[in-house]
Amino acid sequence: MTLNEALRLINSRENRPQGAPVFLVCGFQPLHLLTFLQAHALERLPGEHIEMVTGLFGDLPGNIRKAAESNATTVALVLEWDDLDPRLGLRSSGGWTNAAHRDIETTCRERLQYVAELVEQLAAKAVIALAGPSLPLAPLGHTVELQATSFELGLQQEVGAFLQKMAGIPGIRVLDPSWLLSASPRSSRVDPKMGLMAGFPYSAKHADVLAGGLVELLYPTAPKKGLIVDLDDTLWAGIIGEVGVDGVSWSLEHHSQVHALLQQMLALMAGNGVLLAIASKNEPAIVEQGLSRRDLLVGRDAFFPVLAGWGPKSSTVDEIIRAWNIGADSVVFLDDNPMELSEVQSAHPAVTALEFRPKDPAAVWDLLMRLRNLFGKPAVFAEDSLRTASIRSGAEIQRAHSAAAGNFLETLGGRVTISYQKDPRDKRPLELINKTNQFNVNGIRVPEGDWLARLQSEDAIAATISYEDRFGALGKIAALLGVRQGQDIRITSWVMSCRAFSRKIEHHTLDSLFRVSGATRLRFNFHATDRNRPLQKFFEEIGVESSAAGEPCLSLDHFSGVRNALPHQISELSS
Amino acid sequence: MNDIQTRISHCFANVFPDVPLAEMPRTSVASLARWDSIAQVTLLSAIGEEFSLDISLDDFEELTSWALIVDYVESRTGNG
Repeated sequence: MTLNEALRLINSRENRPQGAPVFLVCGFQPLHLLTFLQAHALERLPGEHIEMVTGLFGDLPGNIRKAAESNATTVALVLEWDDLDPRLGLRSSGGWTNAAHRDIETTCRERLQYVAELVEQLAAKAVIALAGPSLPLAPLGHTVELQATSFELGLQQEVGAFLQKMAGIPGIRVLDPSWLLSASPRSSRVDPKMGLMAGFPYSAKHADVLAGGLVELLYPTAPKKGLIVDLDDTLWAGIIGEVGVDGVSWSLEHHSQVHALLQQMLALMAGNGVLLAIASKNEPAIVEQGLSRRDLLVGRDAFFPVLAGWGPKSSTVDEIIRAWNIGADSVVFLDDNPMELSEVQSAHPAVTALEFRPKDPAAVWDLLMRLRNLFGKPAVFAEDSLRTASIRSGAEIQRAHSAAAGNFLETLGGRVTISYQKDPRDKRPLELINKTNQFNVNGIRVPEGDWLARLQSEDAIAATISYEDRFGALGKIAALLGVRQGQDIRITSWVMSCRAFSRKIEHHTLDSLFRVSGATRLRFNFHATDRNRPLQKFFEEIGVESSAAGEPCLSLDHFSGVRNALPHQISELSS
Repeated sequence: MNDIQTRISHCFANVFPDVPLAEMPRTSVASLARWDSIAQVTLLSAIGEEFSLDISLDDFEELTSWALIVDYVESRTGNG
């Protein structure tokens, strides 16, 4: 993005509704960084205008405190060397002599400790995208540029330790210096003229890249949810139907190490909650034997479902997507055969189809990076490790339900826990709000800063719903956010994971909400989307008129009349 | 307006979106309150980017009106 493009975009949104403010915290004059930050954020939030807030020139700690005192719940924090010691910047004449080095080191260490304390406090109320110093250090060393000095490495180590500590704090997302190095070459980052004249040290190009990275951290792209993998010459090398179970390989010894890399990647992804499935043109029995090999680097249990047969792959993909109960646009299909990829892509245009090219290690490396970027997310939750198991048990429940007579749900031994505690450190409800499509009252995605701001409101009511039964725990599977308005509660977000469908958890939720809040009416900020038919069906079932003019409502009297017996044991944690 | 003036007017509109095109030729630091030091840096950076010009420190200080900027760009681009 150029500076002129950024300015045009900002001007075009001047009269739009304003979202929550974003605070840019830095010690330098924010100038073009502020412009690019605003423009990139506007690109992420179409239809909105965003108010940008900044602090005072030269006072990074003071600006962190100002951000904490402000109503901003979204913060971009950019640190530079002269925030740690002015002698490391262009605008100081404090001296670069060897004699000053020890003092500079001490100052930097102390300043980083102080900044860490302030940032940690800020993280309790805001989501923070944090960038460490990205300018080259001033020429302080006694060596030629390519030879590092102990002094310079020491400063970098202090910054590295600071960033490492910050990355471990919930709500703080650290911009990876390695990513920045590839996106913005170090040699073209600094603009000494602007630094001296205006106190803004970055080239426009670097400011653009830096702002783009910070915005991606603050408003991350929704990750994909499921990966469907082919077997022969993809998960392993060789055609298992021809070479047999022991003939397929994934090792250096057999020149098939790229498959081992993929398997390791899949094991990592499964642990992070990515759904994995197999779509293979093979006999089911030999597939099961192959997946049961003990030396496979990703466990058999990581895959559900495993579908093998001789029909078109597009049909298999269709069956898997239905088993997962997620949208095709959340799915990636991986195969070595371009014809299969084309066939699947043609039948499922929303699926991302990727080619695995085992004879091209560079392409495999790029593919692994692509998978990281497609499925990566800011944080991993306890629920992520339960996802595949709960989808598998969900399928078992569906089968048992079909076979059983009477009140099947009552036999599950279900326990619903509804927490009304407004805990800004628990990011799981926000993750649910921003990735759930089907049982979703309006499909509106909520930036983390907005969510934090709403939680802080005294009138806000928030509920996080967890569930477990004899088939296992599902973890936190639903979230609701609303605001009290007299005797009403206006529900602005209500989502439930598809893994929790058909268990009447939504009935329990409304029953609990009426009882705990004392409200006599619920109003829903409802919007029909092309994906939230399950929510609409539930509204129809309990008599919420979703097509009526104005916001649909549900009164306590009406709900009490239509509510059937609730099958599960419930516990509630008050706010 | 010639091509250079039109391109400069686009940069002006990006920085001062509420200044009508017809009034741009009369604008200067003295006549436009919002033309402060931050706006000056943003405007000249935008013009530098538009014409691929590296504007010197001294010129940043001196280019304080539409007329001066147009003369400067025309002379630097050889279209004066």
